[in-house]
Amino acid sequence: MKGFVEKWRNVPHFINGITHEIWEDRKIGSLRQLYAPGLIVRSPASVVVDNSGVIAATLATLAEFPDRLLLGEDVIWCDDPQGATETSEAFFSSHRLICTATHSHPGAYGAPTGAKLRYRILADCAIRDGAIYDEWLVRDQAAIVRQMGYEPKDWTRAQIEREGGAGACVQPMACANDVPGPYTRRGNTHKWGEIYADTLKRIMAAEMDVIPQTYDRAVNLSYPGGESGFGWNIADQFWMGLRASFPAAEFTLDHVIGREDPLLSPRAAVRWSLNGSHSGWGRFGPPTGAHVYIMGICHAEFGPYGHEGGAAIRREFALIDETAIWKQILLATGDHA
Amino acid sequence: MKGFSNQFKNLPDYILKITKEIWEDRGLSTLHHYYAPDIPIRFPSGLARGNQGVIDGTLATLAEFPDRQLLGEDVIWSGDAETGFMSSHRLLTTGTHTGQGAFGAPTGKRFTIRAIADCAAINDQINDEWLIRDVGGIARQLGFDPSDYARLQITREGGPENAIRPFHPSHDVQGPYTGRGNDNEWGQRLADILTRIMEKDFSVIRAEYDRAVRTEHWGAEGGWSWDFPETQWMRLRSSFPTAKFEIHHQIGRNDSGTPNRGAVRWSLTGEHSGNGYFGSPTGAEVHVMGITHAEWGEWGLRREFTLIDEVAIWKQIHLHVG
Repeated sequence: MKGFVEKWRNVPHFINGITHEIWEDRKIGSLRQLYAPGLIVRSPASVVVDNSGVIAATLATLAEFPDRLLLGEDVIWCDDPQGATETSEAFFSSHRLICTATHSHPGAYGAPTGAKLRYRILADCAIRDGAIYDEWLVRDQAAIVRQMGYEPKDWTRAQIEREGGAGACVQPMACANDVPGPYTRRGNTHKWGEIYADTLKRIMAAEMDVIPQTYDRAVNLSYPGGESGFGWNIADQFWMGLRASFPAAEFTLDHVIGREDPLLSPRAAVRWSLNGSHSGWGRFGPPTGAHVYIMGICHAEFGPYGHEGGAAIRREFALIDETAIWKQILLATGDHA
Repeated sequence: MKGFSNQFKNLPDYILKITKEIWEDRGLSTLHHYYAPDIPIRFPSGLARGNQGVIDGTLATLAEFPDRQLLGEDVIWSGDAETGFMSSHRLLTTGTHTGQGAFGAPTGKRFTIRAIADCAAINDQINDEWLIRDVGGIARQLGFDPSDYARLQITREGGPENAIRPFHPSHDVQGPYTGRGNDNEWGQRLADILTRIMEKDFSVIRAEYDRAVRTEHWGAEGGWSWDFPETQWMRLRSSFPTAKFEIHHQIGRNDSGTPNRGAVRWSLTGEHSGNGYFGSPTGAEVHVMGITHAEWGEWGLRREFTLIDEVAIWKQIHLHVG
């Protein structure tokens, strides 16, 4: 990997390796080198354009959750020849992690609850010259707050108040506050990425019959809020409940990667967004007309037990941040007080 | 596939299709064709003989859980059409308890558990079988403690004298299948891991498992990373620290479109002489039938699935204690 410290064998090794070094080996100061100057980090909860506070934020998280572990489940990546510089190759990585932690000290989540947390994170990072230079991240915030004993909507209402009320609170990511970064590519054109992107596009076009056609009957599903399940019905219910809440929102495929690697199933990573009105009944209660922006990241693994002996989605991991959606709804309706 | 109906493309296709045909398409009578008349089936709860018993058992289960679904997760297989196949089939099974049956009056509760069936198949027919259902998982999800449920079984079956005896090798029968699997490296790796665990070399988990491993175990319990499988295996072994560990069958496979994987059927036979999963030691002679499936990734063993039947173990303990 030209442009990266020699010890890193490949992209997954670099991504898993630096994650471990920063969080668990406590080399938090190495973020000064590992995060490029001016790095923009977009998460559903916020768009952070000034990254100078990242070390302070990392310290705050570790003060609240000192035993936090980040278990790297997968890195689905692609080459980015257009992003290469004279000194470095460039890559794009979609990293799926399980995070475990005990809520043992006071912090941004309030008084410690002692809750043992287990939740997923999906992080899309553009990398070159040994550093991350553009980022999109979805954390399963609803799983965190549920495991602490709160309902996501109630917790979000309290969060708005903690942040100083509707006028002062941190604004969730939206088209209006998104900032274009240096990475403008859309991934690769590998077949498994295309198949999964097409599946999501058809789901969003209400062609729900695509689920029994392209998912394994015994598909293992991991969804927001720490929910998990098996089979076509659960997939149908999740995607139906999401789309039904925002039936007229514009669906965009923002980034698509497909891969086949030795030792692993064929797999795909897709980042997408929904932008529009909360105008239907579904996962988010009665329609409010609030304008909502949703960033989602999904990973899929394919297996051989599909229709007529074809390939089918055998595992799906879909994440959105439901607290960021509730925040947009509460702020728009004035129901935050 | 010589000897098999030409509607089946390969062994996984055969296994997945006949499972659906029998259970969900209600083709109970097709068992006359798909199951040999005198097939031995070894459940941890006891030895069964013959396809008529399978048909009656299937009917009773469907009467109790009419919406029961069987979702085939994987088929890890060995052998060929000439000498016979062995299929290790991992399933997810779900159902709603709406009828009278083995779990008593309907509770209206739903369950989702795994089962693994090792079936010998030749000439379009299953003629030898070992089947582990996560009965402890069903019991818990329907609101029973597995130990209490085993006691209830003994009472319902007419008390300790008359209760059906859980499976023990001393009353096993020799069926038509005598294979031991294949010699693929991934089956051997899984067999080595299990052997080291049973030799109490628990460092094997940190050495061989991916740090982000997902483990799915008996009791419908699962966990991430190393500590979950370590604790589970320690508690199991420490309940039966002197029991004899045996590997009966091992399969490894490298197939395109799936990770490399292994399937091993194993057992522990011996005394309940330690603390662990099953309360204070009782000295009961116990046979534990286990099947483990595993998938590997770039960072080691990435997914482990193991089933034992806790209720059948509790039953052996209660029958000993009286």
